[in-house]
Amino acid sequence: MSDMGVIVKTNARALIPLIGVFGSYIILHGHLTPGGGFQGGATIVGTALLFLIAFGVDEAKKRINKDLYSALEGIGGLVFLGAAMLGLSVAFFYNILWHKGPLFNGRPGTLLSAGFLPIMNLGVGLKVFTGLVSAVFALALFRRWKE
Amino acid sequence: MSFITAFIWSYFMWLILTAGSKGLLWNSQELIAGLIFSAIVGYATRNIIGERASRFLNPVKWILFIAYAPVLFWGMIKANLDVAYRVITGKIRPGIVKVPVNLENDAQYTILSNSITLTPGTLTIEASPEEKVLYVHWINIPKGLEWPESSEPVSGPFEKWARRLGK
Repeated sequence: MSDMGVIVKTNARALIPLIGVFGSYIILHGHLTPGGGFQGGATIVGTALLFLIAFGVDEAKKRINKDLYSALEGIGGLVFLGAAMLGLSVAFFYNILWHKGPLFNGRPGTLLSAGFLPIMNLGVGLKVFTGLVSAVFALALFRRWKE
Repeated sequence: MSFITAFIWSYFMWLILTAGSKGLLWNSQELIAGLIFSAIVGYATRNIIGERASRFLNPVKWILFIAYAPVLFWGMIKANLDVAYRVITGKIRPGIVKVPVNLENDAQYTILSNSITLTPGTLTIEASPEEKVLYVHWINIPKGLEWPESSEPVSGPFEKWARRLGK
């Protein structure tokens, strides 16, 4: 796959950090505003797609490390599970951070509220981002169109 | 250095997104979360944003960008009215012209191409820094301007501005 012209590339350079930070904003405010882990993670995947299309597969091959993405996807899932296990003394998925926890039990409407929800959103966002990037990148690397 | 550029660019965006969390300002939780996540985004995109992007951190450039906004806006208004006239009367003479430009770097090409595309009636199709030309689709080529000598008849003062903004 060949890369794009100079205009697309330069715009991509400016836009990729913006899309990334907007996706983080959606993930981190999942308990306050519309959006959450999946939506924010899918937004951040937009940065990787833009990079892949604007700069080409050869450039992406140098930057995307499949072991790192595979490991991060597992870590995202484990963070979700770990947050769910925190209140296991009462029940699975018991939101102990909200009821007694030292953190994340602030006034509703602030960032550090809603118990384990922000942590789960982060885990899901990481998992969705790395998983979708790996899937799309693997498709882009598919050997050739015809045998 | 490019990490700092990407970080500041991301943090600026974060501040815009979360403004109003404490009155009209930001509360400390949002500010700290913004620092962390902008650092992550900045670290991840430090090789993408480009080594020379730090020149856009210069405050003189920001003032120039603000000064450029009314110029671009006025050009858009004029060009929109011109296109409305061409829609009603049907007086068009379309074609693709090769416009020689005197620009040095990618940012200047991008600013000029986007400005040309934003003003209706002209549309940049291809920017070619090797030949130092832009290929522009023009809705109404005036007679005798099929091979323009400079970008002046196509884009007005935009080339001068693009050269200054992207320097």
